[in-house]
Amino acid sequence: MNERLTCVLCPIGCLIETVRRGDDLEVRGNECPKGVDFAVQEILHPKRNLSASVPLKGTASRMVSVRLSQSVPRDLIFPILDAIAVLRPEAPVRRGQILIADVLGSGADVVATRTIKP
Amino acid sequence: MTETGTVVERHDIVVIGGGPAGLAAALGARRAGIDDVLLIERDRVLGGILNQCIHDGFGLFLYKETISGPEYAERLAEDAAREGVIFHTGAMVLDLSPDRVLRVNAADGYRLVRAGAVILAMGCRERTRDMIGIPGTRPAGIFTAGSAQNMVNLHNLKIGREAVILGSGDVGLIMARRLTFEGIKVRGVFEILPWPSGLERNVRQCLQDFGIPLELSSTVVDIRGRDRVSSVIVARVDGSSRPIPGSEREIACDTLLFSVGLIPENELSKRAGVVLSPLTGGAVVDETLMTGVPGVFSCGNVLHIHDVADWASFEGFEAGRRAAEFVRGRRSGAETVEVRVGENIRYVLPQIVRRGASGVTLNFRVRRPMRSVAVEVREAASDRILTRVKLYRLIPSEMRQIRIPTSVEDALEIVAHE
Repeated sequence: MNERLTCVLCPIGCLIETVRRGDDLEVRGNECPKGVDFAVQEILHPKRNLSASVPLKGTASRMVSVRLSQSVPRDLIFPILDAIAVLRPEAPVRRGQILIADVLGSGADVVATRTIKP
Repeated sequence: MTETGTVVERHDIVVIGGGPAGLAAALGARRAGIDDVLLIERDRVLGGILNQCIHDGFGLFLYKETISGPEYAERLAEDAAREGVIFHTGAMVLDLSPDRVLRVNAADGYRLVRAGAVILAMGCRERTRDMIGIPGTRPAGIFTAGSAQNMVNLHNLKIGREAVILGSGDVGLIMARRLTFEGIKVRGVFEILPWPSGLERNVRQCLQDFGIPLELSSTVVDIRGRDRVSSVIVARVDGSSRPIPGSEREIACDTLLFSVGLIPENELSKRAGVVLSPLTGGAVVDETLMTGVPGVFSCGNVLHIHDVADWASFEGFEAGRRAAEFVRGRRSGAETVEVRVGENIRYVLPQIVRRGASGVTLNFRVRRPMRSVAVEVREAASDRILTRVKLYRLIPSEMRQIRIPTSVEDALEIVAHE
């Protein structure tokens, strides 16, 4: 599978072309060796943060926004979203409060990103 | 300008708008030693558009970590409260006069506010379907990307089942991912330009991650459906952005989002007599962010559209500091020279510089994506180059800066060439 990406490790912003064959990755267009590491990470082991918004317990639409405390492997995005979807935090909520610790064993916590007063 | 029976307040500095630029402006003014700084916000809460931007990626430069919009808003608002900024929320500025009198409507009544200096920080609004003239029926299911973001993130509304997004601005890209997370199928993002309007990281993380097609040089040419959107017709466009006959294709969907640009919201600025730039849609300012109306400053998205919230905040801090200088009468030099837009430059800000100013930083955007670029600032009359930087890549969606180390004596021109 071929993919193009812009390396973001420095301002040069090399346009990197990759060809993936199973676990092997062919990398072209990088002007320095860091481009290879960047492409390997981004194509073979991409990590992402994610955010969502869930209603406060007992309400239809008083929303608490949440995100992860750190990035997780991209494949975990939808399983973690499923875990977040059933969350109904109870007021008060403090910004940074952990709503799910170590979600799905990912090492990341689901944390509130907004304060809800009592 | 007094009206019988109307309360008149006086404040040293009044900031209009409580988003990142306004909060930072108020903080900047306080930190410059002005005691009496009032911030007026029409919403019930501070933070502006940050409140609905629940995604991560804010604050890398201001807070040295990436956080979400609501966290950024709360932190900045807490800083402002702790440092003594006075807030009027749920209050709307109805009018601003050239001599800095504001007419304010609030829950506790109408009043006049006299300001030593005013900082405009009202942000921007979205371009709509009408503004870009997409024909077709007028069914339900058509939203601007930002209003969809508001409904989904702040009101728990499900806006549809299958969506098409017109325009690849950052809000549209972010919403493509957000809708995907909410179980709404995004059929594609269509961009009339040959390059994406949003940041590259958003194209990758919001579209490519989820296999959402991005079709460049394409647009929506018709909207179908009676009560609810039933489909849209998309077509490829030629080099002059005209739809190519025969390239039309129908895409079934019940929702259409527009992410086709943001416009600085300058209704109040116009009332005060502030001169606007046709290139930015915001005020013409000098290097202190002061508009053509003495004592009226501008910062954030009401001045020009920023791609990163931190830049709006930093501009706010600077506007606050400069407004403080004005209030204390420590402002010198009124004579200004122009900064002209040259080859490949879409806009430059400030548009004017006070003669003799040194260490001026110019913000600029290019017209098209460029590689191996030299950006030069030169004196327009003599062609003398004042500063020159080599940049590997420049894209219109990223605002860049260039600093002029020497003092400015004559009209300038900024150019970029490959």
